[in-house]
Amino acid sequence: MSPVDPLVLVVEDEPQMRRFLRASLTSHGFRVAEADTADEAIATATSQSPEMILLDLGLPDRDGIDLAREIRGWSRVPIIVISARGRETDKVEALDAGADDYLTKPFGVNELLARIRASLRRSREPATGTSPVIEIGALRIDLVRREVTMDGQPLHLTPIEYRLLALLAQNAGRVLTQRQILEEVWGRGHAAQNHYVRVYMAQLRRKIERDPARPRFLVTEPGVGYRLRDQPVPSAERAGAREG
Amino acid sequence: MRSAPPKKLLQTGATQGDGRRAWRGYAAAVTLVAAATGLGVLGRRQLALPDFVMLYLLSIMVAAALYGRGPALVASTMSVLAYDFFFIPPFFTFVVDDQRHILTFVMMFVVGLLFSGLTQRVRRHEQRATEALLRARTEEMRSALLSAMSHDLRTPLAAITGAATTLRERAEVTSGDDKAELLDTICEEAERLERLVRNLLDMTRLESGALVVNRDWVPLEEIVGGALTRLERQLGDRPVRTSLPADLPLVSVDAILLEQLFVNLLENAAKYTPAGSLLELSAHTDGPAVVVELADRGPGLPAGNETRVFEKFYRGQHHGPPGAGLGLAICLGIAHAHGGSLIAENRPGGGAVFRLTLPQQGRPPSVPPEADSEPGRELAEPAS
Repeated sequence: MSPVDPLVLVVEDEPQMRRFLRASLTSHGFRVAEADTADEAIATATSQSPEMILLDLGLPDRDGIDLAREIRGWSRVPIIVISARGRETDKVEALDAGADDYLTKPFGVNELLARIRASLRRSREPATGTSPVIEIGALRIDLVRREVTMDGQPLHLTPIEYRLLALLAQNAGRVLTQRQILEEVWGRGHAAQNHYVRVYMAQLRRKIERDPARPRFLVTEPGVGYRLRDQPVPSAERAGAREG
Repeated sequence: MRSAPPKKLLQTGATQGDGRRAWRGYAAAVTLVAAATGLGVLGRRQLALPDFVMLYLLSIMVAAALYGRGPALVASTMSVLAYDFFFIPPFFTFVVDDQRHILTFVMMFVVGLLFSGLTQRVRRHEQRATEALLRARTEEMRSALLSAMSHDLRTPLAAITGAATTLRERAEVTSGDDKAELLDTICEEAERLERLVRNLLDMTRLESGALVVNRDWVPLEEIVGGALTRLERQLGDRPVRTSLPADLPLVSVDAILLEQLFVNLLENAAKYTPAGSLLELSAHTDGPAVVVELADRGPGLPAGNETRVFEKFYRGQHHGPPGAGLGLAICLGIAHAHGGSLIAENRPGGGAVFRLTLPQQGRPPSVPPEADSEPGRELAEPAS
């Protein structure tokens, strides 16, 4: 552990969760700061400038979604919210309020690290934008020439399909809500509806996935949105496969 | 009103139609007496006075047996009056010449009274017995739930506690292989606990009526894909063949609930069929409904008992890891919440098939067609 290790602020009121997060994060080369209330979280976030915030939505003193919105008001630090299953609307609200991603309790350490790494990678990218070429397994997206290839074979995409894929690729590994996708692809104020996203996503899957009903790239996060996996899954993933 | 027939009440379990049913009982009592009178008048030449009395007693009995005390009393009163009016000279008056007939009236009325009292008592017994049976069944369910839960929650907990304490106490003497084994146990059992708790919560939500169906127009493929993605690890390399027609219309469903339904169905199939055997998931339209089928090549369902798999706490005979027997009950609950149906049957050639029918209302919304290319630029053409 050294001062250059990234500092993660864990905002969580349950001691056993804090203990688990502290142990797994420190053993994977992160420094950890802890807060068990929203007030403490704000104090620590301003005084120690963490590189990442893990935020449990069920805090005793304040609404976690509110807190995410407030922090986003003065900081671009990546926020990953932690919430229980069945609270999908909370997750969507938190994401729309500026959180970068979410984790559903219970989660394993692989999932935790994958989310943190994806968020850190994005926040460290220069503000000028992502690299012009994004490669995810056999999928290659050239944002300058607007070309998409799979295994070297060009894919013919419609303009909307391309914009959708480019958006997901620029946010690879990160979940995007229906609303975020609608705004980015169709434009703010467009009368497009949720099912547009679903229909175009289905079209895109037919062009990219070997089996659209078993997607390896474009996964659905039910009730929340979509995610382009940043690490392609081998076609027959073995049980207990470890990432990172 | 107490006169509503308790038997019917129990059968339907509803009390709303209570008033109307009581009214019908009285109307029926009047009709019965009118019918007895009609018969008597028609058969006046052939019948003697005691026959008329029997006809009226019959109508009182029927009213008592079918409609309870109130209608029986009405039938008794009406019978006495009608008997007097039509059959006791002087006819068509309520005047009675022969005082002996007064005794018959009183007896008719008393018999009616006794009958209605008797049937009332029989009914009350019946109701009590049914209530007791219901109570006993609820009790049985509760203890089944408790024993299932205590076993199912304790088993993974015991395994986790055992493995974790071994790792803590015997860390230095445990070999690498053993350690990995113990750690795997902890992870797998924790996952199992999670599934159990999830199922219990889902079942509770379904049964308490707290379930809200948030419908949206969704491609079925996306929901199936979501379920298969969630089960990636559990399914391992088991072959799953999905055949969803490309022109299948969007379905109006709650995507989260429906994904849970498919997750449970697939988990069930994975659990009860031999590893490596093919699972086939297909869909087609049937009129305004969308039908999804999951077919397996497992041992099938016990013949004649195909619907039992949807019962709570029902578990088939297998040697895999036990569950609470809630998965399919939840599937059925979700199907019903969508106004749909879910049935299971055996397949010709072995195995089971689960058929989900989702009736669709309204036309799926359309998406405006898109210009095939952006002005001035053909997209994603091969670079040259």
